[in-house]
Amino acid sequence: MTSLNRRQIMGLAAGAGLASAFPGFTAYAQEKEIVIGGSIPLTGVFAFAGVAIEAGMSDYVKLTNEAGGIAGRKLRLAYEDTAYKVDTSVAVFNKLTTQNDIHLYYGDSTGFAKTINEELNRRGTILMAGASFGSELNNPEKYPFQFMAGPDYVEMFAILLEYIAKAQPGAKLVFVNSDTEFGRDPIEASVKRAKEMGLDVVAQIVTPPTAVDVSTEVLKLRRANPDFTIFHGYVLAPLPEFMSQAKQLGLKTKFMGTFWSMDNSLWANVGAPADGFMGVMPYRYYYDTSPDAPILEKIRKLRPTYQATGYMQGFLTAMLMGEAAKRTLEAGKELNGKTLKAALNSIKDFDTGGIIGVPISVPGNSVPVGRIYQFNAADKQMKPASDWISLKK
Amino acid sequence: MRIATAKETYIADEGLLVTSTQRAWMGVLLAMLVLAPFVLNQYWLYLACLVAINVASATGLNILTGFTGLVSLGQAAFMAVGAYTVAFFEGQVGTPFLLNILAAGLVSALVGVLVGIPSLRVKGLYLAIATIAASVILHFVFTHWVSVTGGVRGINVAPARLFGLELASPFALYFVIVPITCLMVLGAANLFRTRIGRAFIAIRDRDISAEVLGIPLLKYKLMSFALSSFYAGVAGGMWAYFFRVVTPESFPFATSIFFLAAVIVGGLGTIIGSVLGAAFMTLVPELLKYVVDWLAPIFPNAGAALSPVRTIVFGALIILFLVFEPHGLAEMVRRARRFFHLWPFRT
Repeated sequence: MTSLNRRQIMGLAAGAGLASAFPGFTAYAQEKEIVIGGSIPLTGVFAFAGVAIEAGMSDYVKLTNEAGGIAGRKLRLAYEDTAYKVDTSVAVFNKLTTQNDIHLYYGDSTGFAKTINEELNRRGTILMAGASFGSELNNPEKYPFQFMAGPDYVEMFAILLEYIAKAQPGAKLVFVNSDTEFGRDPIEASVKRAKEMGLDVVAQIVTPPTAVDVSTEVLKLRRANPDFTIFHGYVLAPLPEFMSQAKQLGLKTKFMGTFWSMDNSLWANVGAPADGFMGVMPYRYYYDTSPDAPILEKIRKLRPTYQATGYMQGFLTAMLMGEAAKRTLEAGKELNGKTLKAALNSIKDFDTGGIIGVPISVPGNSVPVGRIYQFNAADKQMKPASDWISLKK
Repeated sequence: MRIATAKETYIADEGLLVTSTQRAWMGVLLAMLVLAPFVLNQYWLYLACLVAINVASATGLNILTGFTGLVSLGQAAFMAVGAYTVAFFEGQVGTPFLLNILAAGLVSALVGVLVGIPSLRVKGLYLAIATIAASVILHFVFTHWVSVTGGVRGINVAPARLFGLELASPFALYFVIVPITCLMVLGAANLFRTRIGRAFIAIRDRDISAEVLGIPLLKYKLMSFALSSFYAGVAGGMWAYFFRVVTPESFPFATSIFFLAAVIVGGLGTIIGSVLGAAFMTLVPELLKYVVDWLAPIFPNAGAALSPVRTIVFGALIILFLVFEPHGLAEMVRRARRFFHLWPFRT
């Protein structure tokens, strides 16, 4: 390679970089539209959820615009990839809010929600939700302009505990969580809650988030011999390994998980060892053909193949944002963090079109509703194992 | 063509800016840095601050890895020590902003010295592994020393205050972060005009020869670790004031790889390489997003479909630089300067 070629190549690379910085093609906000901004992880460790979330939000925007928009205004989703990095998420937030008149925003992580909270409070113009169900965010005083479209992690555990307390009063439990902020989030509060409900947490097992060999943890589980084992802070690994080894040791414990471990396609690929795995789901699955779920029917027409649980989360988040915007505009108020949050909190017994099987309310920063599903390996599907459980505050 | 730059004294020979052209360009750069906050919008100011923080940390790593030859994959952990120090002093002690930043550097330097102790016995990949091990230990401390670090939930940091002014926005923080980084870069550039800096380079080039020349290896290696960690600590402290929340997951191991990549892409053993490398690694992924914006009108669902491609292009750009310019971006700058020195003659 001659030096001339090298220069040409490096020059081209540098030129492409500089040229790409020219913002002439950037879309700017148009009048009479409502823009939902989004820091969405389309690459990186959380991309599996981010891609589904983007699809869900885009479909809600599409369906809403086809139906005439919100109070005569069209919805638009303006988002960028964050690779699930907090600093990139903040950069995207700054970029999108500079380029668009944004009053609704989707954030990708608990870290981002905590980082951007001061800025949200300072601006007071944006209502934000996101992929995080962190219990810390479910505090309207500290996070006045944020919400989550489902129960927080402590509430998810509470739904599981309520199910267990009914199914097997006085049951012995083991909590298994990853050694991350995500994994530790509900543990302390849930140990206390289990005790109050007459359930016995006989052991707590903490693993590295990327644990592969879990044989020592399985031995701890055998010593504890619980009736139920609840995982939290994982997506899939090391759950199948845990369950396979426990079954080989003859343990009769029932395994459970929380929302991000509940995607049907994940367990369908695991196959037989996944049979009987249970968990809490705030939404119905894509394939649910219940007669009171017209939105799911529309989604299946739009997208004929299975959509992951992240899709439903994104769709419902956008729906709640849209509903808050609608109520605010119909009341003749301007869109800002305070009016949007007040409108959101006015949502009572709201019909989600079947995404959640019962009417929902948003009393604070969460929607404390969920249902227990159980995986059936023969049908390769998560099936309802309980009715919808609404937590009373 | 540059002529008449003969140096008549040793001091002139060691000068950082030796020609009027260099001084003029430096003046232009400083003027641009001063004017930038009044011209750029919030997004670009945010990126400018982030680049400045990363430049500070990359410069520290370059002192250790580029100039002293000690490979470290612990830079993120040292930054975290600085960030936690700031969060602790700001929240629990209430000391002023600049003192907290200084404390962040000093505490990190102390931790850096401890981590650097094995460097007398091990080097190269072995030392890299030792620094990874230190990162794991520090991560454990951040997670479990709840009374100081807030455990997995971390600590929220109050906005920096200077002379009664609250520094909460990128615009306000720019006026402290960029000058601090400039001072640190200037300090690093001057370091290599001193005996200490030259000792670092001697250790990098052949440590046994350096010892024969009378350079105490342990002292200078630990000094290099301390300086590098000081830079990382100050960068981490500025990071804490910039993002206003510090958790054990704020500085993942990937951040250490980011900084190592930055100094390699920028140019190991050059100060300008640290600046260019950190700017490249921070800004190029952002700039590539504009390509996605361009394609949005002609490519349906460009944002979701092209984001993975953007990541691949960024990776490919790094590989291209390593293959075609192994001495980094600094070498490109040197070549450009040489071209103008000799212009209109060709090299």
